[in-house]
Amino acid sequence: MTPLIEARGVSKRFRQHKRFPGLLGAFKTLVTTEYTEVTAVNDISFDIAAGEAVGYLGPNGAGKSTMIKMMTGILVPSDGTLSVLGRTPHLERMANARQIGVVFGQRSQLWWDLPLIDSFTLHQRIYDIPLTRYQDNLKRFSELLDLKPFLDRAVRQLSLGQRMRAEIVMSLLHDPKILFLDEPTIGLDVVAKDAVRRFLAEINRERGVTIILTTHDLQDIETICPRLIMVDHAKLIFDGQLGKLRSALGSARRLTLEFATDPGPVVLSTATLTNDDGLIKHYLLEREEVSLVQILSEVGSTRDLKDVALHEPNIEEVIRTFYQRRNTASATTP
Amino acid sequence: MSAYTAFVRSGFLTSLAYRSEVWANIFGKLVQVFARVAIWLAVYAGVTAVDGISIGDMITYALLGGVVMGATRYDRIIRHVGTALKTGDVAVWLLKPVHYPLYLLSIEAGASAYTFLLAVVPTIVIVALVYGMHPPASLFHGVMFAAYCGLSFIIHFLCAAIFGVLAFWLMTIFSLEWLLQSLISLLSGLLIPFWFFPEPFGSIASHQPLAWLVYYPSAVWLGRLDIGQTLLYFGFGIAWAGLLTLALTLLWRRAASRITVHGG
Ligand SMILES: Nc1ncnc2c1ncn2[C@@H]1O[C@H](COP(=O)(O)OP(=O)(O)OP(=O)(O)O)[C@@H](O)[C@H]1O
Ligand SMILES: [Mg+2]
Repeated sequence: MTPLIEARGVSKRFRQHKRFPGLLGAFKTLVTTEYTEVTAVNDISFDIAAGEAVGYLGPNGAGKSTMIKMMTGILVPSDGTLSVLGRTPHLERMANARQIGVVFGQRSQLWWDLPLIDSFTLHQRIYDIPLTRYQDNLKRFSELLDLKPFLDRAVRQLSLGQRMRAEIVMSLLHDPKILFLDEPTIGLDVVAKDAVRRFLAEINRERGVTIILTTHDLQDIETICPRLIMVDHAKLIFDGQLGKLRSALGSARRLTLEFATDPGPVVLSTATLTNDDGLIKHYLLEREEVSLVQILSEVGSTRDLKDVALHEPNIEEVIRTFYQRRNTASATTP
Repeated sequence: MSAYTAFVRSGFLTSLAYRSEVWANIFGKLVQVFARVAIWLAVYAGVTAVDGISIGDMITYALLGGVVMGATRYDRIIRHVGTALKTGDVAVWLLKPVHYPLYLLSIEAGASAYTFLLAVVPTIVIVALVYGMHPPASLFHGVMFAAYCGLSFIIHFLCAAIFGVLAFWLMTIFSLEWLLQSLISLLSGLLIPFWFFPEPFGSIASHQPLAWLVYYPSAVWLGRLDIGQTLLYFGFGIAWAGLLTLALTLLWRRAASRITVHGG
């Protein structure tokens, strides 16, 4: 089966005219032909099959929104090829538009001054949705996301959470094959986030809508997306199941040894001592293959060991240590 | 087409959301029309006709200016297009299976219809009752006046939309708004009809596109153009509208491709 989305060595470089500070600088800015180039997406390849749910994760400025914009056809790649539903998105933007749904967490697509329901009926007209189909979808989605009470309220009077739910409902009314969401849970409270996540997971499971969403919130990915694509500094750094992330990025486990009597310094070859409180000692296990048995045999039975605890890092921690390591690495290599 | 008729409707309804503006709108228009009438009353003090044009003609001309220019708002169009392009909000429209310029035209048609019905008609009725107004020169001229009004709306929209798209590259939205405002007051015939312009300025003014905003529709109503001329100049107006449509399309394509290639 050919994939629904196919990215091959996709890059995007932005040119920005150099700006000079100050009043004199403003004049210099006017005449200068110098520019700086920002690489927002660097040589990224992946395939996404029909029915998948993919989380696109990365720190600020990593190039997530840029990638979404290229896949939806409103940005042209500088390099590489991109195919969505068998089309090159920016060349066939209109045909593409009918089969995809897009939600930008930061940019509303609703009609600000009109009652919410008017945005939906306009959407029906824009996409030429058969009336019964439209009514069925609207009924079902607005029940699931509990939109009924706000349908007659002007959009500008809705809260952020209510509005985001409405944006998501609207993006699905024309039965898109793919739904792109750029930070759909941004600024939502815990309850609203949860509602949105469960809704998206259900849409993906029941209707087979392919979902690609960017986020900073790992919880989003844990609930909705079995697959994770991680980018940093424009480059792809991980693509696979969430569960495999830890071994791929190799984050250290933490070990705590508690003794009944202070044994003095205990140096191990399998683990690095990070904190010595006398009775309680903390270690870092950097190698994945080291097992608890190995460690215990190294500690030996002569010492008065009382308790052992091994902490598997959670995903948040894995990613945090990954970014930190990367930042210190880039700081030392200018 | 059904999407665009829906846009016309929502343009109308969006204006309705700002109902309180209706009174401000009527008041503002009353002041403008009264001011123009007052000027002509002062100019005509003690004279019955200037160049064969009576004070009654001029009052009618001042009122007709209010009819054709009262509803469409170039400032609203420039700001709408300009901000959508500058803030990147236009990307949302690039994601939909609609043509943005046509969408704009539909929205503006709805908003203009609203202003026309709720602000222009009452204003004109009030002023006409106070000062009197000539009927159209003939049935033909009356019908053609309606057609010229439609053309006036289209040309008005095209000029404003072109200026709005230009805001993407040039200057601030505000300065473009100001520039178009000056051009319109001088070259549309709103303040002074071209028959009072000294030659060659009169001939020049009556061949540029803004002349179709106020001058031609009003001149037709007053019967200043005979049947042949009325039809001929309608054709010229259509030709201008065609050229402006072409210009807008090209500019819009450039702006859209700049957004998709350079990200704004
Ligand atoms: N239109 C543009 N012109 C110039 N540079 C741009 C443009 N759009 C984005 N960039 C740059 O490209 C890089 C990636 O931006 P992008 O918006 O894709 O990041 P992101 O991963 O979505 O970040 P965030 O999590 O903050 O939303 C940034 O360095 C940004 O400054
Ligand atoms: Mg982003």
